[in-house]
Amino acid sequence: MKKKLHFSKELKLCFILSSLFILCCQTVFAQSNVTGTVSDKSGSLIGVGVQVKGTSTSTTTNENGVYTISVPDAGSAVLVFSYIGYTTQEVGVKSRSTVNVSLVESASDLNEVVVVGYGTQRKKDLTGAISVVKAADVNKKQGTTVAESLQGLATGIKVRGGGEPGSEAQIQIRGLKNLSMTNPLYIIDGLITNANRDFNPADIESIQILKDASAAAIYGSRAANGVIIITTKKGAEGPMKIEFSGKSSIQTIPRYDLAETDEFARINFMAYDNAKLKRQELDLSNNTDWQDVAYRTGNMQDYNLSFSGGAKDATYFVSGGYFGNKGTVISTDFDRYSFRVNTKGTKGIFTIGENLAITSAKKNEMSANPIVDIFRMLPTIPVYDPSHPGGYGYGDEVKARTFGTNPLAIANLEDRVNQNLRIRGNLFAELQLLKPLKFRTSLGYETSRDHYTYLKKDGFWTLNQAYDPAIFNENRAESSTVLVENTLTFNKALGKHTLNVIAGQSYQKDNYGMMWGTKRNILLNQTTGHYYDVLDQGDEPKTGGFRERVDLISYFGRLEYNYADKYLLNAIIRSDGSSRLGKDYKFKSFPSISGAWRISKEDFFKSSWINDLKVRANYGTVGSGNIGPYDYIALINTFSTVPFGPNGHTQPGGTQVKLANADLRWEILQQQNYGFDASFLNNKLTVTAEYFISKTKDALLQYPILISTGNDGGNPFVNGVTLGNRGMEFTATYSENSSDFKYNVTANLTTLNTKILDLGYGKNKTFVGNTVTEVGRPIGMWYVLQTDGLFQSADEVANYKNAGGKVIQPGAEPGDIRFKDNDGDGEITNKDKVVVGSPWADYELGLNFGASYKGFEFSMDWFGSFGAKVFNGPRSVMDNFSDNSNYRAGVQPWTPENPNTSIPRAFYGSTINARGDTDRWLENGSFARMKYIGISYNIPNKLLKGIGFSNARVTLSGQNLITITKYTGLDPEFSNTSIFEKGFDYGAFPNLRTVSLGLNFGF
Amino acid sequence: MKKIISKIFVLCTLVLMFSCKKELLNQDSPNTLTVDQFWKTELDAKKGINAAYAMFYQNGGWNRWIYFRLDLTSDEGWSNSPWTELGDWTRFQYVNYNFWEGNVNTYRDTYKAIFRCNQVLTFVPEIPFGDEKAKSEILAQAKFLRGFYYFYAAILWENFPIVTTIQKPTDSPQQSSLAEVWAQVEKDLTEASADLPEQWTGDEIGRATKGAAQALLGKALLQQHKWSDAKAAFDYLVTGAGKNYYDLVDYKDNFRAENENNKESVFEIQFSDANKTGEGDGPSSNMGSNRAQFFAPRSIGWSDGQARFWLVNEFKKEKTIDNKVDPRLRYTLFYPGLEADFGDKIYGRSWEWGGDEAWFKKYSRDYMRSNEDYFNQVNNRVIRFADVLLMYAEALNELGQTADAYQYVNRVRTRANMVGLATAYPAIGNNKDMFRERLKAERSLELCGESVRWADLKRWGDLDTKENVDKVALRDPDFKNFVVGKHIRLPLPQVEVDNNTNLSQNPKY
Repeated sequence: MKKKLHFSKELKLCFILSSLFILCCQTVFAQSNVTGTVSDKSGSLIGVGVQVKGTSTSTTTNENGVYTISVPDAGSAVLVFSYIGYTTQEVGVKSRSTVNVSLVESASDLNEVVVVGYGTQRKKDLTGAISVVKAADVNKKQGTTVAESLQGLATGIKVRGGGEPGSEAQIQIRGLKNLSMTNPLYIIDGLITNANRDFNPADIESIQILKDASAAAIYGSRAANGVIIITTKKGAEGPMKIEFSGKSSIQTIPRYDLAETDEFARINFMAYDNAKLKRQELDLSNNTDWQDVAYRTGNMQDYNLSFSGGAKDATYFVSGGYFGNKGTVISTDFDRYSFRVNTKGTKGIFTIGENLAITSAKKNEMSANPIVDIFRMLPTIPVYDPSHPGGYGYGDEVKARTFGTNPLAIANLEDRVNQNLRIRGNLFAELQLLKPLKFRTSLGYETSRDHYTYLKKDGFWTLNQAYDPAIFNENRAESSTVLVENTLTFNKALGKHTLNVIAGQSYQKDNYGMMWGTKRNILLNQTTGHYYDVLDQGDEPKTGGFRERVDLISYFGRLEYNYADKYLLNAIIRSDGSSRLGKDYKFKSFPSISGAWRISKEDFFKSSWINDLKVRANYGTVGSGNIGPYDYIALINTFSTVPFGPNGHTQPGGTQVKLANADLRWEILQQQNYGFDASFLNNKLTVTAEYFISKTKDALLQYPILISTGNDGGNPFVNGVTLGNRGMEFTATYSENSSDFKYNVTANLTTLNTKILDLGYGKNKTFVGNTVTEVGRPIGMWYVLQTDGLFQSADEVANYKNAGGKVIQPGAEPGDIRFKDNDGDGEITNKDKVVVGSPWADYELGLNFGASYKGFEFSMDWFGSFGAKVFNGPRSVMDNFSDNSNYRAGVQPWTPENPNTSIPRAFYGSTINARGDTDRWLENGSFARMKYIGISYNIPNKLLKGIGFSNARVTLSGQNLITITKYTGLDPEFSNTSIFEKGFDYGAFPNLRTVSLGLNFGF
Repeated sequence: MKKIISKIFVLCTLVLMFSCKKELLNQDSPNTLTVDQFWKTELDAKKGINAAYAMFYQNGGWNRWIYFRLDLTSDEGWSNSPWTELGDWTRFQYVNYNFWEGNVNTYRDTYKAIFRCNQVLTFVPEIPFGDEKAKSEILAQAKFLRGFYYFYAAILWENFPIVTTIQKPTDSPQQSSLAEVWAQVEKDLTEASADLPEQWTGDEIGRATKGAAQALLGKALLQQHKWSDAKAAFDYLVTGAGKNYYDLVDYKDNFRAENENNKESVFEIQFSDANKTGEGDGPSSNMGSNRAQFFAPRSIGWSDGQARFWLVNEFKKEKTIDNKVDPRLRYTLFYPGLEADFGDKIYGRSWEWGGDEAWFKKYSRDYMRSNEDYFNQVNNRVIRFADVLLMYAEALNELGQTADAYQYVNRVRTRANMVGLATAYPAIGNNKDMFRERLKAERSLELCGESVRWADLKRWGDLDTKENVDKVALRDPDFKNFVVGKHIRLPLPQVEVDNNTNLSQNPKY
């Protein structure tokens, strides 16, 4: 009920604001626009690219097939209409103000216009590796962030996502090229930002992914991990269009099959008996399913309403959205309210516009890690126990020795809320100085006001917990980004020569400031049972805060040259200077050059079955300097305090805690990319293939340094590693659109081979956790002891000797693990560890299938990753028997009666069979997953007219419903943020199964 | 109109364009000083040495884990922790040498402390001081603390690479032998002693004194069986210039928050509950001790460490002059008879644990509250005068001056209301070996739970032969896992051995 109320308020607000905008638009701006409707034989076309020929001015048609575009000279201008699967048409404006066009299907998508950063290009003119993702494909999936929805929609994109309400996905483009931060750069309407959880994906009109160095070079120093360019929706000339989309989803979390009390007790007693210890006094009257306690069915609600329209010389787009996610883990949820206004107006040679989004997001965060606690808690522990302070059940020294956290207790006793208000927008103005020359200036601003609160109530959630009173912590932060960019664009066609040049300058300033306060003994209101969660209450106050600032100055230019659509040349240079880097290393230039040859346009090329063939080659450099603002400066930590004297008078301290490398410089990625684009069989089959070789030099990373340095607070950044990447991407699409039954199939394949070419500080290898990273191999190879089955008898133990006749594991008993004595010294030590596998996939495969018949549409996306070896952290807890945790149902530890098993004998209280540094916990991480399946029905126009709707569609879809894998953990598609331990599943939050029902309509 | 607009527009943007000065790229941290800006004043020097003292409040050292190494690994204590790996590291089952809580954290914090001392010793000599004495006292404290950390490194890992300069990220120090580490300890403490004041006053009380340096130096020498040098070092406190500063006090005043830094205290770690937050290098980090929270009995604290029951029996062997239970037991252990013997409850509770169980009581706050937490303010008297007296007696005995040694043991016994040693054990006489054996018992009765036992066992050679270890194992069955020549020292963190090509792992690991 509450939500509905909010919704109607929003609606009202939208109406008022949009009416205001319409008024503004109509009174302020003069005219020089062309508008019209683009359609095909069955009706209007949405998202058709419209470009003024020979310029970079472009737009797309809206939901009703209507476009509006400003034309420098209505008499001579020619409009280029391009649309996936249709033949491009060029139409002269001839001083008309309305130009309606009917397109003919061609089944080729090469005529799209794509945004390439500070401008657009026709897709067929591309010389670099750029993927285009359709907004419709992104929006059909239900995700919190746009990144989650990208997987499987483009080659070379790897997404490891979320699951938890408000969590943000990790995204990687073309593998690992960088060790400090692997997220790509996001550009939203020209603003360099982050499409994080407070960005509403429903506002997206198009997404372009710049994958190789030549394409991304225009963003220079920040483009090493690729660039994702997002364009938000704009209005079009015509009466106001109202669009509504609503989606409602239910979500479930994958679960383990865990032992119940009977089975748990049997194995637990066995573990104690084998260790010759007195059994625990398990309370067999309980049989708690901790997964039932911690998990629930989640749901998502996603509603968006937009209003758009405009006059010939001014357009507006206003949208409001609500997104709510009730988490699959108790006491977690996420809410987002978003609001956007995009407007644009033109008078003569002058154009002005703005994009503005305001979002409010609130996340009720998860406490502890229930994904792990559901098996660290035993089934014999009751959920509630009135004898404990706070009233919750947890471990007991005699009855249930575990330090597992009661997930319900911590969910109720700890409240963590993270909310923010973000304003993100830009104001731009364009001046058509001369016919071929345009000046554009853009002022971008983004700010986020963050507010975090933490309340710990009185009560316990784990065994022997230290007593703390009620504590309240509050934290407020403010970030802002100012971006000023100026560009000059020169555009000229002379006969068969077309030249497009852009030169620009950019300045960006990022500020962040944070302050926090905390108090103890927070007052409880006995009447309501609630704490006064304000900093006025309580005692023992502590506060703190800090600020950060980063400045970036850039100059850039791009030259595009096209001769008769046959020869294409693209050159880019960007020079960036950053305050993050060492004093003498601030500035660096990043050049790139790329070329393409459209063989199919040559006279000698005669082929009846090849419609288009273009080969491309390029070389480029991009950079990365994504480190902290002051990492090159050795700083003094002034936080230490010491109490001296009879009254414990506190004196301040000051010392260097973290070492710093003063000579930090840009990390450089050099990349060569070779590819071809071809279409065959009347454009029914299109193929794109890319091969790339890249080298990351001076990669910035926090290379592990020796403990003897005394360093703490994280390893200092160093320009240490040189990484080599080689990979291949292949995409093929087959579409059949000639009959009522239309379908298309796209397959994409990515292979990637990453190697360390050189390691930091002149070293050969480095060890982190159970991994080794060494020159000539990928990062973070598994480096563990090898197991060799179980000892079945005392004879086997006695006969397990090295060459010198020494018994290797004299203390072992039947049922214990036999380890390989790889160095042959007759003992199992760290020297026996060897490299046993790679955490990286050999190849990844995406498969997309779409079909339509009359009003029905069906689509399905699969994603598969093959060849990675991963460490199942949760299983290393459940199967180890040395510590009390719940066990997997049906687990068969070795017993004399049941020797045919790979699980060693259960033995409590010793790490001997349970050690974590063995290959016992490594598993095949290959998987194939149906990421999406959906069916939609477009209600026929005849039926709609009666109720005044122009279009209506119902969609039923599912995500992550089928996963094929041998991995025994919850989700083979987990993520780990440590670069050296990428394949380590520590109990990551799994991807959820989601079923959604969506409704879209417009009027 | 159009022209005017465009002119203004172009002008504005041009101004914006050229206003970007490169100086904008030189952004200093608005939050704190740089290393280059620090180390300029007397106050900076004092802050530097204070930060070195603050290392006592970090997990790897005297805030938490060191007690697992020194108390629980010895035959006084053991672990019955539900956290198996934590327990394994108190019973010589070292499987993963990178186990943070058992090894790496302590190793890391030792080097962190040494780094802080090395900063003071590198930068402070260059700072102009109005009073040269103040400067030399700061340098001497840095040497004391560095010697202190190398002392415990010698006890724990033995072959611990010595670092006496500020390290660059690329530095890979050479391995050091135990003898080299001891030499460093002796050098640092000798130099520290020369410049440290005999006493501090007012708000500076709690810093290292000359007596602290002499006592720790003596302890280091004793550990190396340099008996005569050790005696000479202790002389200052017992018979020399410093003797008037030290005396024995009411026994319980060595373990409570009241009467801290008293006459018995030789070197005392200053704890405080002023900052009830986590440990580390953040603002307002905890300055308290976690020991009691980890050692308090089940359902009061984590109960990760407890005392072996033989200690209770040892206390019960001999009564006081007026035929009562040794009063030191009352302040040393929680044990089943505590309430019957002395009328004391355990954190307000009657005995509810096993009949053969005991828990460490020293530094606990049972006398003032019903639970523990991470912010225990009771100072740790790392070296107290009773310990010095017993070590002095040990040196004398080893030097063949057994008769002379009696008086120092008796000073300690008398305070506990025990009859003189010669009266209680007339058979000892001037027999050096028997005196040593008795001294071992005297030390455990007086100092049990004060983190001295592991070094004692090593010094006495009780861990050098299988036969001796078997005797220790009678008191503490964990020693059945003890391999002679191996477990006498910890393994170096494997990650350090792997990443520093100059290192080899300790023998037999």
